[in-house]
Amino acid sequence: MESIVEFDGIGKRFFNVTVLRDVSFPVIRGHILGLVGENGAGKSTLMNILGGVIAADSGVVRVDGKDLILKNPQQAAERGISFIHQELNLFPNLTIAENLFIPHFPKHKIAGLGLINRRDMREQAKKCLLSVGLDLSPDIVVADLNPGERQLVEIAKALNADARVVIFDEPTSSLSRPEVERLFLLMNRLRSQGMSMIYISHILGDVLKLCDDICVLRDGQVVAYGPKDEFSSERMISLMTGRSFENLYPRRDTVPSDEPALEVRSLSQPGVVENLDFTLHRGEVVGLFGLMGSGRTELVRMIFGLDTFEQGEIALGGSVDRQPVPRESIRRGLAFLTEDRRVEGLCMDASVEENIALVALSSFASSGVIHKARLRRAVTDEASAVSINIATVRKQPVKTLSGGNQQKVVLAKWLLSDPAVLILDEPTRGIDVGAKYEVYRLINQCAGDGKAILFVSSEIEELIGVCDRILVIRAGEMCDSVRRAEFNAERILRSAFGAQSVQ
Amino acid sequence: MRYPGKHFLIRGFGNGALMFIVVLGAFGLLAPRFLDATNLANIVVQSSSIAIVAAGMTCTLLTAGIDLSVGSTMFVAAAVAGKMVLTGMSIPASIVAALGVGLVAGLINAILVSYFSMQPFIATLGTLFLGRGLALLITETRSLNLPESFSKLGSERLLGVPLPIVTLAVVLAAVHLLLSRTSLGRQIYAIGGSIQASRKAGIHTRRVLASTYVICGVCAAIGGLVSLALLGTVSQTFGYQREFAAVSAAVLGGVSLFGGRGKVFPGVIIGALLIQTVENGLVMLNANPYIYPLTTGVVIFLTVLVDSLRHRQSLKMSRRIIRRPEGVNVAT
Amino acid sequence: MGGGGIQSMQGTGEVRVKAFIHDSSRAESSGRPTIFPGAGRFRNVAKKLLYSEYLLLYLTLAYLLVATQLVPGLLSSTNLRNVLSNLFPLLVAAIGQSFVLITAGIDLSVTSVFACSSVVGGWIMTSNFGPRAGSGWSLAAGLLAMFVVAIVIALINGLSITQFEMPPFIVTLSTMTFFSGVALWLVQSRNIYHLPRLLVTIGKGSVVFVPYALLLTAALVSTAHWVLTRTVLGRWLFAAGYNAKAAVISGVPIGRTIIFAYVASAVCAALATVLLMGRLETASPIIGQRLLLDLIAAPVIGGVSLFGGRGKIQWVILGALFVTLMDNSLNLLGFSSFVIMMAKGGLILFAALLDVFRNASTVST
Repeated sequence: MESIVEFDGIGKRFFNVTVLRDVSFPVIRGHILGLVGENGAGKSTLMNILGGVIAADSGVVRVDGKDLILKNPQQAAERGISFIHQELNLFPNLTIAENLFIPHFPKHKIAGLGLINRRDMREQAKKCLLSVGLDLSPDIVVADLNPGERQLVEIAKALNADARVVIFDEPTSSLSRPEVERLFLLMNRLRSQGMSMIYISHILGDVLKLCDDICVLRDGQVVAYGPKDEFSSERMISLMTGRSFENLYPRRDTVPSDEPALEVRSLSQPGVVENLDFTLHRGEVVGLFGLMGSGRTELVRMIFGLDTFEQGEIALGGSVDRQPVPRESIRRGLAFLTEDRRVEGLCMDASVEENIALVALSSFASSGVIHKARLRRAVTDEASAVSINIATVRKQPVKTLSGGNQQKVVLAKWLLSDPAVLILDEPTRGIDVGAKYEVYRLINQCAGDGKAILFVSSEIEELIGVCDRILVIRAGEMCDSVRRAEFNAERILRSAFGAQSVQ
Repeated sequence: MRYPGKHFLIRGFGNGALMFIVVLGAFGLLAPRFLDATNLANIVVQSSSIAIVAAGMTCTLLTAGIDLSVGSTMFVAAAVAGKMVLTGMSIPASIVAALGVGLVAGLINAILVSYFSMQPFIATLGTLFLGRGLALLITETRSLNLPESFSKLGSERLLGVPLPIVTLAVVLAAVHLLLSRTSLGRQIYAIGGSIQASRKAGIHTRRVLASTYVICGVCAAIGGLVSLALLGTVSQTFGYQREFAAVSAAVLGGVSLFGGRGKVFPGVIIGALLIQTVENGLVMLNANPYIYPLTTGVVIFLTVLVDSLRHRQSLKMSRRIIRRPEGVNVAT
Repeated sequence: MGGGGIQSMQGTGEVRVKAFIHDSSRAESSGRPTIFPGAGRFRNVAKKLLYSEYLLLYLTLAYLLVATQLVPGLLSSTNLRNVLSNLFPLLVAAIGQSFVLITAGIDLSVTSVFACSSVVGGWIMTSNFGPRAGSGWSLAAGLLAMFVVAIVIALINGLSITQFEMPPFIVTLSTMTFFSGVALWLVQSRNIYHLPRLLVTIGKGSVVFVPYALLLTAALVSTAHWVLTRTVLGRWLFAAGYNAKAAVISGVPIGRTIIFAYVASAVCAALATVLLMGRLETASPIIGQRLLLDLIAAPVIGGVSLFGGRGKIQWVILGALFVTLMDNSLNLLGFSSFVIMMAKGGLILFAALLDVFRNASTVST
């Protein structure tokens, strides 16, 4: 059995964080390889390297036995590597056929001008669509297709480009079950035709059903590789989670009180959540764990007031709100550290000081006039509290800081407003170990100060290390609540995946 | 219900056609002479110039850009052509020169927007003033009254169809062909749909963007020539605020300011006819000349308003679904 | 296209927070443009020069150096006084525009505010009704009306942009067309003369050699500076321009903030109109018409970015001075108004180009 793609010693670092370490394994020709691991284990990074989106720092990618350096996605495509991202790369305002062929359309040459040969294009597109099992007119605009059909079009695109290796990144997250079955039928057929595929998914049952070989990544390293017979869901889960505590977490020594700080009651929004309830207590750190697409970010955005919900209420600091709005939520004592700090958390071109001051401004002003000295001092104090060297970076634009420091700026910004409840959505994403520890320490401190913290994360380890209680969300529903005494990574992961997906 | 061409129907006819009928009816009631066959024919002929400019404008709008300088490009092109004819040069030569003007204007805008990454509105605002000043300089603010030979072109017919309409048909066919049947055209739509996806798909976004401004410039020049032939004279206010009419015509015809959607045929024709109808109607009603800028302002405001609301609706449609009505996650 | 804004907060529920204009032509990271493919080493030197905050100072000095050689009478006392009296209304309007630019918007309707407030104010000030006619009351009423008119136009702009998410450039262009037309209609293209003495004094007079116009302008400049640097509202304006999404999440009342910016622009325009009317002793529906590009170029050259988030009032002063000097020298050189129109077009392109270079992100897409 020969390999069509081989990873040999791949390493990659982003700023100071090692994302991939000595990753080596083959992708066997004509097989489907299942690539599993938690969020942040390095799957996407590795596939981005294969797909030519980023370059590896060390190691080699071999395609057909030849060492390759892929500088851009076009080069990867030329080698027959096709990457189907979770966020599909289609043009919704163009037809299926046009999406398949852009920018290399089949043409007529009339008097030197190249007009698109509609008939040829349509015929070829139809053939292509049929080969993925889609019996649709190629002239339909992509905007009119449902996610399942769009996915198939994306696959058709790959086939049209003579792909030999197709990477599927979480393809089933927006699909209904019948659509998933249709996808698998197609993949099986492709396999029998000699296509090699890499299948990334957190739905372990599907991985076991579909794949020939399985590779498990954890913390950027390969922890297991082999034919699927060697694996079971249990084994995969325990491999994914592992035991890697190593004193990464400061000791939790505060005890949560019984007083509720935030209560979510009967929260419902069609298509997102249904009858969701939970309570946060003062001094408590509650973790919220869920896989991609489970609704966790949508949930917290609704609590804060960025999105509306149809039913339910948010009780905070004694008052109840049916239609929260960010400004009001902040006034009532809520803080919200978003998932994507670059887009929603920071004004990248503004200075560190300006960013830190943004939320709490009004409390340092009387009748709209800022007490500069007081604000300056408070910013300095808060910055020191989060270990930012404010003396040197005060006036620097925040975009010049490292990821870890940027995140600390966002934290400082929220802490300055002295919130009663902090919602942190993936606060340690993309930051180095040292900064992570800082974040955990701050969370501890806040809990000690009587604040309530909702810690949303996709890393079970850190939740186990930091929280008093962990809630598990799946498909918009709270499906489990685990107390500290019963903390168990496998149980949590299993709940997140869903009982039936684990055979 | 899905079928090819569904969008064609909705977008092509949607607002534009309905409003067109309403406006026709309104003016018809207010000024009986309005619905005369000759008047209606007049409207069609007169609208050709703005339709041509709007066709070119569509290309820039499709990429979520805009060309505010079309009015002044019309002016410069007409001024150059007029001057040349008046100094005795042949009509074909002056036409070629005018087209050259459009090409140059388009190239300047293209370089500013695609190469220097300037925001389209400010780049073309600058070239608007550059062009206007240049044209006034050329004409020395005197009206250029063209000789019979030129203005005859406005009323001449080719196989029974007035020349302006023939020109319109040719331009419209060319732009429509370009947008719907060439690789470049589809890439223009792609950029309007998603510029990131375009780059990832290997499209040369700079080149494609640049081409839209060049096309727009050339169309503006052609529109200027047609207008010149119809009016027979280049006055100080030639092409003044025609960019509004062009944008309004395009947006009324279903093209969005936010890019990625809209077609030249039949949308732009309907839009241009609508605009021209309003203008003609006001004349028929002997409306107070002070009303004209008011209607221009209101029309462009309303069309953009509708477009913005429509755009917001379409953004709302693309949301992620976490829970399916079946009640159960995909995983199980 | 258009100035900046936030895109819809996309979630799965109804979009709660209003989104403003959509700009699909920007680079992803911070909304700044990608640097254009230029030649290496030259770029470094050019970069250092361009990114310097003092660029405008160098530019103005360079310009003066050249201009004094070429332009006769540039430095004569009458001319300098001329330059100053041209400077004040422009600077006042430019300050207003800066507020809007900082929020990553643009206000092209300024000249229509000039027109409308001028004719409305002028009409009231010179009207002959009631026992109070001709007295200071009519002046006060006229001035009040001018500001009311300005605010009405500003609210139309601001609400369209914040409530309907329409692109600022086209909204303000349409209000400009509309209200310029309204002004012409109101006075049937005629000017209004015999404005109250007091108004003329404000426009042209001085107290102990210090022109009232200077005092008013200085007061406005200091107020603007103070608002931008020392108030919460000022910080909100910058936040709206830097990153509207993050601003909303951080609790900034972005709708109100942006509307304020447009109101500020219109109010400054009304104030500029007062100065213009006083100096010209006329209320005209085309007053200050040629200032549109100047009042955009001045702040942009002065470092207020079209992309939002950046700007210092002190540099706007220099920007306005630079633009006034340029306009003045072109006039002295005897160029026709069309050449000057072309020059203004070129000037705005120069300003926008400068802005692009200053803002080019280091991340190439």
